[in-house]
Amino acid sequence: MGLIKKVPVYAEHVPGGGFVATQLESVLSHAQACSMWYLLFATACCAIELMCTGASRYDFDRLGMIFRPTPRQADLIIAAGTITKKMAPRLRRLYDQMAEPRYVIAMGGCTIRGGPFYYDSYAVEKGIDHIVPVDIYIPGCPPRPESLLEGCLHLQKKVKAQKLADWHEK
Amino acid sequence: MTRDELKEHILKKYDGLLTPLETGVFDLMCEVKPANLTKVARMLYDDEQLKFDFLNNIAGVDTGEQFEVVYSLSSISNNLRLDFKLVLSYDQAVIDSVKDIWTAADWHEREIWELYGIDINNHDNLKRFLLPDDWDQGYPMRKDWDAPDFVRMPEL
Repeated sequence: MGLIKKVPVYAEHVPGGGFVATQLESVLSHAQACSMWYLLFATACCAIELMCTGASRYDFDRLGMIFRPTPRQADLIIAAGTITKKMAPRLRRLYDQMAEPRYVIAMGGCTIRGGPFYYDSYAVEKGIDHIVPVDIYIPGCPPRPESLLEGCLHLQKKVKAQKLADWHEK
Repeated sequence: MTRDELKEHILKKYDGLLTPLETGVFDLMCEVKPANLTKVARMLYDDEQLKFDFLNNIAGVDTGEQFEVVYSLSSISNNLRLDFKLVLSYDQAVIDSVKDIWTAADWHEREIWELYGIDINNHDNLKRFLLPDDWDQGYPMRKDWDAPDFVRMPEL
């Protein structure tokens, strides 16, 4: 994808090149935003809401969001549930295995700041932003499917607003 | 055998080994001296009238003054329940393993060893169990345990 990043640089020198670059930009980011394949990474009760959102009533698929069982095929990791200190290195490892550009949604109170396990817990990581960079935080315990869909729409907005030159700068 | 009959039986046959405590409506709870643990466990297992052949759980407790180790037993064949506990002081936190009587004790004892720092004699498999492999912050279930990112619930 390094080549795509150079398009705006070279396109400037060609007549009409700016137009091509911006059109390419909007096409690419639209395609990317509308095919956010997410990694199945569900560690606690938020997973129930995640599954519910993926099922027919709320239907994730209409946003182009399809779950993948492997990080190699995923663009997005929805961290649904408590991340313990023992799980944290595994989450980081899965994140590292994903191809760029990659995004992270922190779903539920546990992933944001430890949630109900903030106090008196030796085992729970107090926020996954200590481990991976987070794009969208969705509060709730667990968040309703509507909240998760709202979060995903915000992520789509974020992806669509990306400039070609900023690709993979995360 | 009812709960009261079980108490009678224990008072008669296990005099001095098992001391029944007052526990209201719950399962019969007894106290055992740590030195008698394996002997009592073996007797309860072999006793034809009781035959406690199932170990439900071993729980560690830190009361703030002492450790307690609570054993919950069931008898499948005689439909009985019995709990007994050991009381340990902080500086003498050692118990004997009952792994060769109830195999289920293996993991429970490892857990107690790991989370409370209670040492287990004659246990051949004492290694990291639930905590992360690189854990170096001591025994987290102890009352006086603390760590840099540990936040205690404020008094309300």
